[in-house]
Amino acid sequence: MAAAGKISVASRDVLALRLLVALVIFGAWEAMSRSGLFYGEVVPSLLKIGASLMKLLVDPIFYRNLQVTTVETILALAIGAGAGITTGIALGANRFLMRAFEPYVYYLSPTPRIILFPVMIMWFGVGPASKIALGALSAFFAIALSTAAGMRQIDPVLIRVGRSFRANIWQMAMKIYLPAMRVPILNGIRLGMGTAIITVLLGETKLSNQGLGYLIMQVYTRFDMPGLYALLIMIFVIAGAVNALIGHFARD
Amino acid sequence: MASNMNQSAEAALVIDDVVKRFGRGQEIVTAVDHVSFSVKQGEFVSVIGPSGCGKSTLFNIIGGLLGDYEGAVKIGDERISAPHPAVGMVFQEESTFPWRTVIDNVAFPLELQGVAKSERIDRAHHFIDMVGLASFEKAFPSQLSGGMKQRVSIARTLVSQPKILLMDEPFAALDEQTRLLLGDKITQIQQQLNQTTLLITHNLTEAVQLSDRIVVMTYRPGRVKRIVNIDLPRPRTSDVVGSDAFGHYVAEIWNDLREEASRGMADSESAASRRAAHG
Ligand SMILES: Nc1ncnc2c1ncn2[C@@H]1O[C@H](COP(=O)(O)OP(=O)(O)OP(=O)(O)O)[C@@H](O)[C@H]1O
Ligand SMILES: [Mg+2]
Repeated sequence: MAAAGKISVASRDVLALRLLVALVIFGAWEAMSRSGLFYGEVVPSLLKIGASLMKLLVDPIFYRNLQVTTVETILALAIGAGAGITTGIALGANRFLMRAFEPYVYYLSPTPRIILFPVMIMWFGVGPASKIALGALSAFFAIALSTAAGMRQIDPVLIRVGRSFRANIWQMAMKIYLPAMRVPILNGIRLGMGTAIITVLLGETKLSNQGLGYLIMQVYTRFDMPGLYALLIMIFVIAGAVNALIGHFARD
Repeated sequence: MASNMNQSAEAALVIDDVVKRFGRGQEIVTAVDHVSFSVKQGEFVSVIGPSGCGKSTLFNIIGGLLGDYEGAVKIGDERISAPHPAVGMVFQEESTFPWRTVIDNVAFPLELQGVAKSERIDRAHHFIDMVGLASFEKAFPSQLSGGMKQRVSIARTLVSQPKILLMDEPFAALDEQTRLLLGDKITQIQQQLNQTTLLITHNLTEAVQLSDRIVVMTYRPGRVKRIVNIDLPRPRTSDVVGSDAFGHYVAEIWNDLREEASRGMADSESAASRRAAHG
């Protein structure tokens, strides 16, 4: 009982601190906005941002572009995860393959995928396909790496159990490897989703005709700063919610 | 030593001059050294020996999980180098699937065989009941004790009804009473199904209680020191543990075993003092 009480007091303190930080940031922001030190609307008042946010939430154009970006990200993630999990299992299961391919995966994974954007545009055009391809590529590395790492931490006796019951390759993958690696795979998907969203949005801001990234650039060229911030807030909220959702499944 | 000569036609499992070495060069360890014996159809044989004498290594070779060895393990005319459909294994390590409930753990081999769900559940239920875990079917392994998890693994292997049952110290995590009772259950099934069973153990009571023959191994390198016939009447239950004949067998085998066990102890003590001297 005492311990439970302590924990809830502690989490109340954490919550209070979090709220305080938010208030300080908001206060500082508002102070900056009113100080007149910044050119034009670079730091718009919170009230204006709030108003833009409301407008955005009822704007069909926002939802249309949100849908485009969502579909692009989901497809990118699905392709990246499918290829990443398969590659990760193959690398983790086979020491020879791992030794041969590890350097490629490790050295290629930190290079920014956006430099391949021009190539993707040439291959797949300016529409969603080029963003999907780029997003899939970036998700692929994160997911393949964490799947391969997850393979190596499986309790080896479980694999011997599967072999002793003469499970075939497919059964080994579906009934032993995948469930044993649920947590690392979901963590990989979470990382992959993060990079997929970033890459898709980045691609959209560079060259596209639809999507949230495209919308950001439109708002930006109109120099509608409150609108821009409202859009960014929405993206933060959506990405945060999806992240929390995957995190929930990744827990043991 | 002589008993490995009579590899009769009824032998279900023949272990013929098996050698297994680990490592290479200076670091080479001979885990199993020219081991030969055979197990007849329906016979219960135990392999007993001190820790580190190569019992698990032999177990993995017979199970087809260590394909790279010298000599031959044969089932029928087939030399084993991969898991054989007639063989079921119970591992020394904790080996339940943590993401499956008890019933789904036990039904696992049936799932691999494509048995329909309702039949799977029925058959799994039967064996869970037998190992005394009926009220834990929906529990996950994390909610069970070590001994209970080991009973789940035993049920999981029994459900596949292997013609040849291999067990590597399956009762090590159990208390004495549970061990005796579960031993009775295993004997019962073994007699009913006329199952050929090879039990790896370092528990002498358990070996004498359950076996028709006991293969006593030497401490490293693991060789066959002696094979003892246990002529206690069947059907046999754990009551036999109190009898004079039982005590006689235990004393006799303990004589051999003590020699090997003390060699093992001396070995690890000298290794420890070597380490201490170096450190
Ligand atoms: N994969 C391996 N690589 C190198 N050495 C090994 C390997 N497996 C076993 N050994 C060695 O072989 C010897 C026998 O090991 P094994 O596990 O078969 O013993 P055991 O009789 O089962 O012991 P215990 O009763 O403690 O389970 C040990 O010296 C061990 O260090
Ligand atoms: Mg062992």
